Amino acid sequence: MSEKSKEPGVLGNLFKTFFAKHWPVWVGAIVLGTLNILLFAIKSPWGASGGINNWGENVFKLVGIFGLENATPTNASLYGMLCLFLVIGSFIGALFSKEFAFRIPPKGELIKGFIGGSLMALGATFGIGCTIGAFFSGMPALSGGAIIFTIGLFIGTIIALKYLMWEMEKFPKFSSGKSYVFLSGTGKSGSWQIYLAWIVLIITFIISYQYSGNNKIMAWFIIIGMLMGLISQRSRFCIVKAFRDPFMTGEADGSVGVMAGLLIGVFGFTIIKYFGIGIGDVAARAREMTWVFPHFFFRAAIGGFVFGIGMTIAGGCAVGTLWRVGEGQVKLWASALGFILISPISKLYIVPPIVNSLPQSLDFKNYLPDYLGYPGAFALVLIIILIWYVFVKWNEKTGRFSAF
Amino acid sequence: MEYKIDQTLDCKGLSCPMPMMKLAKAMKGLKSEEILEMIGTDPGTKSDLPRWCEKSGNKLVEEGELEGGIFRFLIQKK
Repeated sequence: MSEKSKEPGVLGNLFKTFFAKHWPVWVGAIVLGTLNILLFAIKSPWGASGGINNWGENVFKLVGIFGLENATPTNASLYGMLCLFLVIGSFIGALFSKEFAFRIPPKGELIKGFIGGSLMALGATFGIGCTIGAFFSGMPALSGGAIIFTIGLFIGTIIALKYLMWEMEKFPKFSSGKSYVFLSGTGKSGSWQIYLAWIVLIITFIISYQYSGNNKIMAWFIIIGMLMGLISQRSRFCIVKAFRDPFMTGEADGSVGVMAGLLIGVFGFTIIKYFGIGIGDVAARAREMTWVFPHFFFRAAIGGFVFGIGMTIAGGCAVGTLWRVGEGQVKLWASALGFILISPISKLYIVPPIVNSLPQSLDFKNYLPDYLGYPGAFALVLIIILIWYVFVKWNEKTGRFSAF
Repeated sequence: MEYKIDQTLDCKGLSCPMPMMKLAKAMKGLKSEEILEMIGTDPGTKSDLPRWCEKSGNKLVEEGELEGGIFRFLIQKK
Protein backbone atom coordinates (compact mmCIF):
# COMPACT_ATOMS: atom_id res chain seq x y z
CA MET A 1 0.00 0.00 0.00
CA SER A 2 2.73 2.41 1.03
CA GLU A 3 4.69 1.52 -2.12
CA LYS A 4 1.67 2.29 -4.23
CA SER A 5 1.34 5.76 -2.71
CA LYS A 6 4.91 6.54 -3.77
CA GLU A 7 4.12 6.07 -7.45
CA PRO A 8 3.78 9.37 -9.30
CA GLY A 9 0.30 10.27 -10.51
CA VAL A 10 -0.69 11.36 -14.00
CA LEU A 11 0.75 14.85 -13.55
CA GLY A 12 3.85 13.47 -11.84
CA ASN A 13 4.49 11.25 -14.84
CA LEU A 14 3.96 14.18 -17.17
CA PHE A 15 6.52 16.17 -15.17
CA LYS A 16 8.97 13.25 -15.38
CA THR A 17 8.48 13.07 -19.16
CA PHE A 18 9.73 16.64 -19.47
CA PHE A 19 12.33 16.82 -16.73
CA ALA A 20 13.62 13.38 -15.70
CA LYS A 21 15.76 12.81 -18.78
CA HIS A 22 17.17 14.88 -21.64
CA TRP A 23 15.02 15.00 -24.75
CA PRO A 24 16.35 13.73 -28.06
CA VAL A 25 17.89 16.69 -29.90
CA TRP A 26 15.59 16.22 -32.90
CA VAL A 27 12.49 16.54 -30.70
CA GLY A 28 13.78 19.80 -29.23
CA ALA A 29 14.82 21.08 -32.66
CA ILE A 30 11.40 20.38 -34.19
CA VAL A 31 9.70 22.33 -31.39
CA LEU A 32 12.26 25.14 -31.72
CA GLY A 33 11.71 25.21 -35.50
CA THR A 34 7.97 25.49 -34.87
CA LEU A 35 8.40 28.31 -32.36
CA ASN A 36 10.67 30.04 -34.88
CA ILE A 37 7.81 29.93 -37.42
CA LEU A 38 5.47 31.44 -34.81
CA LEU A 39 7.95 34.27 -34.17
CA PHE A 40 8.05 34.96 -37.92
CA ALA A 41 4.26 34.79 -38.17
CA ILE A 42 3.80 37.44 -35.47
CA LYS A 43 6.83 39.61 -36.32
CA SER A 44 10.21 38.30 -37.50
CA PRO A 45 12.27 35.12 -37.09
CA TRP A 46 14.54 33.97 -34.29
CA GLY A 47 17.88 35.70 -33.86
CA ALA A 48 20.33 35.82 -30.98
CA SER A 49 23.25 38.12 -31.78
CA GLY A 50 21.02 41.21 -32.14
CA GLY A 51 19.63 40.70 -28.65
CA ILE A 52 23.08 40.15 -27.14
CA ASN A 53 24.30 43.29 -28.94
CA ASN A 54 21.41 45.18 -27.34
CA TRP A 55 22.61 44.05 -23.91
CA GLY A 56 26.12 45.24 -24.76
CA GLU A 57 24.90 48.63 -25.94
CA ASN A 58 23.02 49.04 -22.67
CA VAL A 59 26.11 48.12 -20.66
CA PHE A 60 28.12 50.84 -22.43
CA LYS A 61 25.19 53.26 -22.16
CA LEU A 62 25.23 52.71 -18.39
CA VAL A 63 28.98 53.30 -18.24
CA GLY A 64 28.55 56.32 -20.49
CA ILE A 65 31.07 55.50 -23.21
CA PHE A 66 30.96 55.08 -27.00
CA GLY A 67 28.03 57.55 -27.38
CA LEU A 68 25.33 54.90 -27.06
CA GLU A 69 22.85 57.02 -25.11
CA ASN A 70 20.20 56.39 -27.80
CA ALA A 71 20.45 52.59 -27.51
CA THR A 72 17.05 50.90 -27.12
CA PRO A 73 16.56 49.88 -23.47
CA THR A 74 16.50 46.09 -23.18
CA ASN A 75 12.97 46.08 -21.76
CA ALA A 76 11.80 47.73 -25.01
CA SER A 77 13.90 45.59 -27.36
CA LEU A 78 12.10 42.51 -28.73
CA TYR A 79 15.32 40.59 -29.31
CA GLY A 80 16.99 41.84 -26.13
CA MET A 81 14.01 40.42 -24.20
CA LEU A 82 13.86 37.24 -26.31
CA CYS A 83 17.48 36.49 -25.38
CA LEU A 84 16.93 37.44 -21.74
CA PHE A 85 13.96 35.11 -21.40
CA LEU A 86 15.85 32.38 -23.26
CA VAL A 87 18.36 32.47 -20.40
CA ILE A 88 15.51 32.52 -17.87
CA GLY A 89 13.75 29.63 -19.65
CA SER A 90 16.92 27.55 -19.50
CA PHE A 91 17.26 28.46 -15.80
CA ILE A 92 13.69 27.18 -15.27
CA GLY A 93 14.41 23.96 -17.22
CA ALA A 94 17.64 23.33 -15.30
CA LEU A 95 15.91 23.96 -11.96
CA PHE A 96 12.94 21.69 -12.74
CA SER A 97 15.34 18.88 -13.63
CA LYS A 98 17.64 19.70 -10.68
CA GLU A 99 20.51 20.25 -13.09
CA PHE A 100 21.27 23.81 -12.09
CA ALA A 101 24.59 24.53 -10.37
CA PHE A 102 27.27 27.18 -10.54
CA ARG A 103 30.04 25.27 -12.30
CA ILE A 104 33.29 27.20 -12.22
CA PRO A 105 35.88 25.69 -14.59
CA PRO A 106 39.69 25.92 -14.51
CA LYS A 107 41.13 29.33 -15.46
CA GLY A 108 42.20 28.26 -18.96
CA GLU A 109 38.62 27.36 -19.81
CA LEU A 110 37.39 30.78 -18.65
CA ILE A 111 39.95 32.44 -20.95
CA LYS A 112 38.80 30.27 -23.88
CA GLY A 113 35.19 31.14 -23.08
CA PHE A 114 35.91 34.88 -23.22
CA ILE A 115 37.99 34.65 -26.41
CA GLY A 116 35.39 32.41 -28.07
CA GLY A 117 32.57 34.79 -27.15
CA SER A 118 34.53 37.77 -28.45
CA LEU A 119 35.18 36.01 -31.77
CA MET A 120 31.49 35.12 -32.02
CA ALA A 121 30.64 38.81 -31.55
CA LEU A 122 33.08 39.80 -34.28
CA GLY A 123 31.84 37.05 -36.63
CA ALA A 124 28.18 37.90 -36.03
CA THR A 125 28.79 41.60 -36.70
CA PHE A 126 30.77 40.90 -39.84
CA GLY A 127 28.39 38.23 -41.10
CA ILE A 128 25.21 40.13 -40.04
CA GLY A 129 23.93 37.27 -37.94
CA CYS A 130 24.92 34.28 -35.88
CA THR A 131 24.19 30.56 -36.02
CA ILE A 132 20.55 31.40 -35.40
CA GLY A 133 19.87 34.51 -37.52
CA ALA A 134 22.19 33.70 -40.42
CA PHE A 135 21.84 29.91 -40.33
CA PHE A 136 18.92 28.35 -38.39
CA SER A 137 16.60 31.14 -39.58
CA GLY A 138 18.64 32.25 -42.61
CA MET A 139 18.47 28.94 -44.48
CA PRO A 140 14.67 28.64 -44.10
CA ALA A 141 14.44 32.31 -45.15
CA LEU A 142 15.83 31.11 -48.52
CA SER A 143 18.81 33.43 -48.26
CA GLY A 144 21.79 32.74 -50.52
CA GLY A 145 24.04 34.43 -47.96
CA ALA A 146 22.98 31.85 -45.35
CA ILE A 147 24.46 29.07 -47.48
CA ILE A 148 27.78 30.93 -47.68
CA PHE A 149 27.65 31.66 -43.93
CA THR A 150 27.13 27.92 -43.33
CA ILE A 151 30.19 27.00 -45.42
CA GLY A 152 32.22 29.54 -43.42
CA LEU A 153 30.93 27.99 -40.18
CA PHE A 154 32.08 24.53 -41.27
CA ILE A 155 35.59 25.69 -42.14
CA GLY A 156 35.93 27.74 -38.92
CA THR A 157 34.67 24.83 -36.81
CA ILE A 158 37.10 22.31 -38.32
CA ILE A 159 40.10 24.64 -37.85
CA ALA A 160 39.16 25.46 -34.23
CA LEU A 161 38.60 21.77 -33.47
CA LYS A 162 42.11 21.05 -34.75
CA TYR A 163 43.36 23.75 -32.39
CA LEU A 164 41.49 22.24 -29.40
CA MET A 165 42.97 18.83 -30.11
CA TRP A 166 46.44 20.31 -30.45
CA GLU A 167 45.98 22.19 -27.17
CA MET A 168 44.76 19.02 -25.41
CA GLU A 169 47.83 17.14 -26.69
CA LYS A 170 50.50 19.78 -26.08
CA PHE A 171 49.10 21.78 -23.16
CA PRO A 172 46.75 19.46 -21.25
CA LYS A 173 47.14 21.58 -18.10
CA PHE A 174 45.44 24.53 -19.80
CA SER A 175 42.05 22.87 -19.37
CA SER A 176 42.85 21.27 -16.00
CA GLY A 177 43.15 22.63 -12.51
CA LYS A 178 40.89 23.78 -9.76
CA SER A 179 37.18 23.82 -10.42
CA TYR A 180 34.23 24.45 -8.14
CA VAL A 181 30.55 23.53 -8.03
CA PHE A 182 28.05 25.44 -5.91
CA LEU A 183 24.32 25.06 -5.22
CA SER A 184 23.90 21.76 -7.03
CA GLY A 185 20.54 20.05 -6.74
CA THR A 186 21.70 16.48 -6.10
CA GLY A 187 19.38 14.31 -4.00
CA LYS A 188 16.40 15.31 -1.89
CA SER A 189 18.13 18.41 -0.53
CA GLY A 190 17.95 19.78 -4.08
CA SER A 191 14.14 20.09 -4.02
CA TRP A 192 14.52 23.85 -3.53
CA GLN A 193 15.39 23.99 -7.24
CA ILE A 194 11.90 22.78 -8.21
CA TYR A 195 10.18 25.32 -5.92
CA LEU A 196 12.33 28.12 -7.31
CA ALA A 197 11.53 26.98 -10.88
CA TRP A 198 7.80 27.42 -10.21
CA ILE A 199 8.38 30.90 -8.79
CA VAL A 200 10.48 32.02 -11.78
CA LEU A 201 7.95 30.51 -14.20
CA ILE A 202 5.06 32.39 -12.57
CA ILE A 203 7.07 35.66 -12.58
CA THR A 204 7.74 35.15 -16.32
CA PHE A 205 4.01 34.84 -17.03
CA ILE A 206 3.28 37.94 -14.91
CA ILE A 207 5.88 39.99 -16.83
CA SER A 208 4.47 38.77 -20.14
CA TYR A 209 0.94 39.64 -19.00
CA GLN A 210 2.07 43.17 -18.09
CA TYR A 211 3.19 43.73 -21.67
CA SER A 212 0.05 42.21 -23.18
CA GLY A 213 -1.96 45.47 -22.99
CA ASN A 214 0.30 47.77 -25.00
CA ASN A 215 2.80 45.46 -26.63
CA LYS A 216 1.25 42.14 -27.56
CA ILE A 217 4.24 41.12 -29.70
CA MET A 218 6.59 41.60 -26.75
CA ALA A 219 4.27 39.53 -24.54
CA TRP A 220 4.61 36.63 -26.97
CA PHE A 221 8.36 37.12 -27.50
CA ILE A 222 8.77 36.73 -23.73
CA ILE A 223 6.79 33.47 -23.61
CA ILE A 224 8.40 32.05 -26.74
CA GLY A 225 11.89 33.09 -25.56
CA MET A 226 11.27 31.34 -22.23
CA LEU A 227 10.06 28.19 -24.01
CA MET A 228 13.05 28.28 -26.37
CA GLY A 229 15.45 28.39 -23.42
CA LEU A 230 13.66 25.60 -21.58
CA ILE A 231 13.52 23.37 -24.67
CA SER A 232 17.14 24.08 -25.63
CA GLN A 233 18.27 23.14 -22.11
CA ARG A 234 16.25 19.93 -22.01
CA SER A 235 17.32 18.78 -25.48
CA ARG A 236 20.90 20.18 -25.27
CA PHE A 237 20.22 21.94 -28.58
CA CYS A 238 23.50 23.41 -29.75
CA ILE A 239 24.52 24.25 -33.28
CA VAL A 240 28.25 23.96 -32.62
CA LYS A 241 27.59 20.32 -31.74
CA ALA A 242 25.89 19.81 -35.11
CA PHE A 243 28.91 21.15 -36.97
CA ARG A 244 31.67 19.81 -34.72
CA ASP A 245 30.71 16.32 -33.55
CA PRO A 246 30.96 14.57 -36.95
CA PHE A 247 34.60 15.69 -37.06
CA MET A 248 35.25 14.91 -33.38
CA THR A 249 33.59 11.70 -32.15
CA GLY A 250 31.77 11.09 -35.44
CA GLU A 251 28.33 11.30 -33.84
CA ALA A 252 25.50 12.54 -36.03
CA ASP A 253 22.68 13.03 -33.47
CA GLY A 254 23.29 16.76 -33.00
CA SER A 255 23.49 17.33 -36.76
CA VAL A 256 20.34 15.34 -37.52
CA GLY A 257 18.51 17.25 -34.78
CA VAL A 258 19.41 20.62 -36.25
CA MET A 259 18.42 19.35 -39.70
CA ALA A 260 14.98 18.40 -38.36
CA GLY A 261 14.54 21.95 -37.05
CA LEU A 262 15.74 23.42 -40.34
CA LEU A 263 13.33 21.22 -42.29
CA ILE A 264 10.34 22.43 -40.26
CA GLY A 265 11.59 26.00 -40.65
CA VAL A 266 11.94 25.74 -44.44
CA PHE A 267 8.31 24.66 -44.80
CA GLY A 268 6.95 27.31 -42.42
CA PHE A 269 9.07 30.21 -43.66
CA THR A 270 8.41 29.43 -47.33
CA ILE A 271 4.65 29.37 -46.72
CA ILE A 272 4.80 32.67 -44.78
CA LYS A 273 6.85 34.35 -47.52
CA TYR A 274 4.95 32.84 -50.44
CA PHE A 275 1.53 33.84 -49.12
CA GLY A 276 2.68 37.04 -47.41
CA ILE A 277 1.32 35.88 -44.03
CA GLY A 278 1.58 38.47 -41.25
CA ILE A 279 2.33 41.18 -43.79
CA GLY A 280 0.71 44.04 -41.78
CA ASP A 281 1.76 47.45 -43.07
CA VAL A 282 4.90 46.09 -44.68
CA ALA A 283 5.28 45.85 -48.45
CA ALA A 284 5.05 42.33 -49.89
CA ARG A 285 8.65 42.52 -51.10
CA ALA A 286 9.91 43.56 -47.66
CA ARG A 287 8.11 40.58 -46.07
CA GLU A 288 9.72 38.28 -48.65
CA MET A 289 13.16 39.71 -47.93
CA THR A 290 12.89 39.18 -44.14
CA TRP A 291 16.14 37.70 -42.77
CA VAL A 292 17.83 38.03 -46.18
CA PHE A 293 20.83 40.13 -45.26
CA PRO A 294 23.22 42.13 -47.49
CA HIS A 295 26.10 39.75 -46.83
CA PHE A 296 26.32 37.68 -50.01
CA PHE A 297 29.00 36.58 -50.23
CA PHE A 298 32.09 38.16 -48.65
CA ARG A 299 30.65 39.22 -45.30
CA ALA A 300 28.82 35.91 -44.93
CA ALA A 301 31.96 33.88 -45.71
CA ILE A 302 34.24 35.77 -43.31
CA GLY A 303 31.53 36.17 -40.65
CA GLY A 304 30.67 32.47 -40.71
CA PHE A 305 34.34 31.49 -40.58
CA VAL A 306 35.16 33.72 -37.58
CA PHE A 307 31.93 32.73 -35.81
CA GLY A 308 32.74 29.04 -36.40
CA ILE A 309 36.13 29.45 -34.73
CA GLY A 310 34.60 31.38 -31.82
CA MET A 311 31.74 28.99 -31.08
CA THR A 312 34.04 25.93 -31.16
CA ILE A 313 36.55 27.49 -28.76
CA ALA A 314 33.76 28.70 -26.46
CA GLY A 315 31.94 25.34 -26.60
CA GLY A 316 28.59 26.92 -27.41
CA CYS A 317 27.06 28.87 -30.28
CA ALA A 318 25.03 32.02 -29.51
CA VAL A 319 22.00 30.09 -28.26
CA GLY A 320 24.19 27.35 -26.78
CA THR A 321 25.97 30.04 -24.79
CA LEU A 322 22.72 31.61 -23.58
CA TRP A 323 21.08 28.43 -22.32
CA ARG A 324 24.29 27.25 -20.66
CA VAL A 325 24.42 30.62 -18.87
CA GLY A 326 20.97 29.78 -17.46
CA GLU A 327 22.21 26.35 -16.40
CA GLY A 328 25.05 27.90 -14.39
CA GLN A 329 28.03 27.00 -16.62
CA VAL A 330 30.45 29.79 -15.74
CA LYS A 331 32.69 29.14 -18.79
CA LEU A 332 29.77 30.24 -20.93
CA TRP A 333 29.27 33.29 -18.69
CA ALA A 334 32.78 34.29 -19.79
CA SER A 335 31.72 33.62 -23.38
CA ALA A 336 28.56 35.72 -22.98
CA LEU A 337 30.64 38.51 -21.42
CA GLY A 338 33.01 38.49 -24.41
CA PHE A 339 30.03 38.53 -26.78
CA ILE A 340 28.29 41.37 -24.89
CA LEU A 341 31.39 43.61 -24.65
CA ILE A 342 32.87 43.02 -28.10
CA SER A 343 29.65 43.14 -30.12
CA PRO A 344 29.05 46.92 -29.86
CA ILE A 345 32.78 47.61 -30.26
CA SER A 346 32.81 45.49 -33.46
CA LYS A 347 29.72 47.27 -34.73
CA LEU A 348 31.08 50.76 -34.03
CA TYR A 349 34.79 50.51 -34.66
CA ILE A 350 36.08 47.22 -36.10
CA VAL A 351 33.70 46.14 -38.86
CA PRO A 352 32.64 49.47 -40.53
CA PRO A 353 36.12 50.51 -41.75
CA ILE A 354 36.57 47.08 -43.35
CA VAL A 355 33.16 46.78 -45.02
CA ASN A 356 33.12 50.39 -46.17
CA SER A 357 36.24 49.72 -48.19
CA LEU A 358 34.63 46.76 -49.99
CA PRO A 359 32.80 47.14 -53.32
CA GLN A 360 29.03 46.77 -52.96
CA SER A 361 29.05 43.92 -55.49
CA LEU A 362 30.76 41.76 -52.85
CA ASP A 363 27.87 42.08 -50.40
CA PHE A 364 24.27 42.20 -51.51
CA LYS A 365 20.98 40.61 -50.56
CA ASN A 366 20.74 37.32 -52.36
CA TYR A 367 17.20 35.98 -52.27
CA LEU A 368 17.26 32.51 -53.83
CA PRO A 369 13.70 32.62 -55.29
CA ASP A 370 14.78 35.64 -57.39
CA TYR A 371 17.10 33.30 -59.27
CA LEU A 372 15.50 29.87 -58.91
CA GLY A 373 11.83 30.63 -58.26
CA TYR A 374 10.18 29.36 -55.07
CA PRO A 375 10.24 25.67 -56.14
CA GLY A 376 13.91 25.83 -57.09
CA ALA A 377 14.98 27.67 -53.91
CA PHE A 378 12.93 25.32 -51.73
CA ALA A 379 14.41 22.28 -53.48
CA LEU A 380 17.96 23.64 -53.20
CA VAL A 381 17.71 24.03 -49.41
CA LEU A 382 16.18 20.56 -49.08
CA ILE A 383 18.97 19.07 -51.24
CA ILE A 384 21.63 20.75 -49.06
CA ILE A 385 20.01 19.28 -45.93
CA LEU A 386 19.83 15.85 -47.60
CA ILE A 387 23.50 15.94 -48.65
CA TRP A 388 24.49 16.98 -45.12
CA TYR A 389 22.39 14.12 -43.71
CA VAL A 390 23.94 11.52 -46.00
CA PHE A 391 27.42 12.80 -45.15
CA VAL A 392 27.02 12.72 -41.35
CA LYS A 393 25.33 9.30 -41.34
CA TRP A 394 27.98 7.84 -43.68
CA ASN A 395 30.74 9.40 -41.57
CA GLU A 396 29.13 8.08 -38.37
CA LYS A 397 29.30 4.59 -39.82
CA THR A 398 32.76 4.76 -41.36
CA GLY A 399 34.47 7.29 -39.06
CA ARG A 400 36.21 8.58 -42.19
CA PHE A 401 36.39 12.21 -41.04
CA SER A 402 36.15 11.81 -37.26
CA ALA A 403 39.16 12.35 -35.03
CA PHE A 404 38.38 9.58 -32.51
CA MET B 1 29.16 -4.91 -8.18
CA GLU B 2 32.71 -3.75 -7.52
CA TYR B 3 34.88 -3.03 -10.55
CA LYS B 4 38.65 -2.70 -10.68
CA ILE B 5 39.37 0.79 -11.95
CA ASP B 6 42.41 1.08 -14.21
CA GLN B 7 42.38 4.83 -14.78
CA THR B 8 40.47 7.85 -13.49
CA LEU B 9 39.67 10.88 -15.62
CA ASP B 10 38.70 14.04 -13.74
CA CYS B 11 36.51 16.33 -15.86
CA LYS B 12 35.00 18.34 -13.02
CA GLY B 13 34.19 21.90 -14.02
CA LEU B 14 34.62 21.20 -17.73
CA SER B 15 31.81 21.75 -20.21
CA CYS B 16 31.16 20.47 -23.72
CA PRO B 17 33.23 19.43 -25.69
CA MET B 18 36.16 18.95 -23.28
CA PRO B 19 34.80 15.96 -21.27
CA MET B 20 34.05 13.92 -24.40
CA MET B 21 37.34 14.90 -26.07
CA LYS B 22 39.33 13.92 -22.98
CA LEU B 23 37.35 10.72 -22.61
CA ALA B 24 37.86 9.64 -26.22
CA LYS B 25 41.59 10.35 -25.91
CA ALA B 26 41.92 8.52 -22.58
CA MET B 27 40.08 5.45 -23.89
CA LYS B 28 42.59 5.20 -26.73
CA GLY B 29 45.33 4.60 -24.15
CA LEU B 30 43.53 1.71 -22.44
CA LYS B 31 43.79 -1.98 -23.23
CA SER B 32 40.76 -4.10 -24.06
CA GLU B 33 38.50 -4.86 -21.03
CA GLU B 34 40.22 -2.21 -18.87
CA ILE B 35 37.94 0.18 -17.00
CA LEU B 36 38.07 3.94 -16.95
CA GLU B 37 36.36 5.96 -14.24
CA MET B 38 35.21 9.37 -15.37
CA ILE B 39 33.93 12.03 -13.02
CA GLY B 40 32.46 15.28 -14.23
CA THR B 41 29.91 17.98 -13.62
CA ASP B 42 28.53 18.77 -17.09
CA PRO B 43 24.92 17.53 -17.34
CA GLY B 44 25.46 17.10 -21.09
CA THR B 45 27.77 14.16 -20.40
CA LYS B 46 24.76 12.19 -19.05
CA SER B 47 23.39 11.92 -22.59
CA ASP B 48 26.61 12.31 -24.65
CA LEU B 49 28.53 9.52 -22.94
CA PRO B 50 26.01 6.64 -23.28
CA ARG B 51 25.47 7.61 -26.93
CA TRP B 52 29.19 7.62 -27.59
CA CYS B 53 29.61 4.23 -25.86
CA GLU B 54 26.83 2.78 -27.99
CA LYS B 55 28.47 4.06 -31.15
CA SER B 56 32.07 3.20 -30.26
CA GLY B 57 31.28 -0.26 -28.86
CA ASN B 58 32.73 0.51 -25.42
CA LYS B 59 30.58 -0.58 -22.50
CA LEU B 60 29.09 1.77 -19.93
CA VAL B 61 29.12 -0.54 -16.92
CA GLU B 62 28.01 1.90 -14.27
CA GLU B 63 26.68 5.43 -13.97
CA GLY B 64 25.60 7.40 -10.97
CA GLU B 65 25.39 10.77 -9.30
CA LEU B 66 27.50 11.65 -6.27
CA GLU B 67 26.92 14.47 -3.80
CA GLY B 68 27.69 18.00 -4.96
CA GLY B 69 26.45 17.66 -8.54
CA ILE B 70 29.18 15.24 -9.60
CA PHE B 71 28.46 12.50 -12.12
CA ARG B 72 30.45 9.26 -12.16
CA PHE B 73 30.74 6.80 -15.03
CA LEU B 74 32.63 3.52 -15.40
CA ILE B 75 33.44 2.60 -18.99
CA GLN B 76 34.96 -0.68 -20.10
CA LYS B 77 37.04 -0.61 -23.26
CA LYS B 78 35.84 -3.03 -25.94
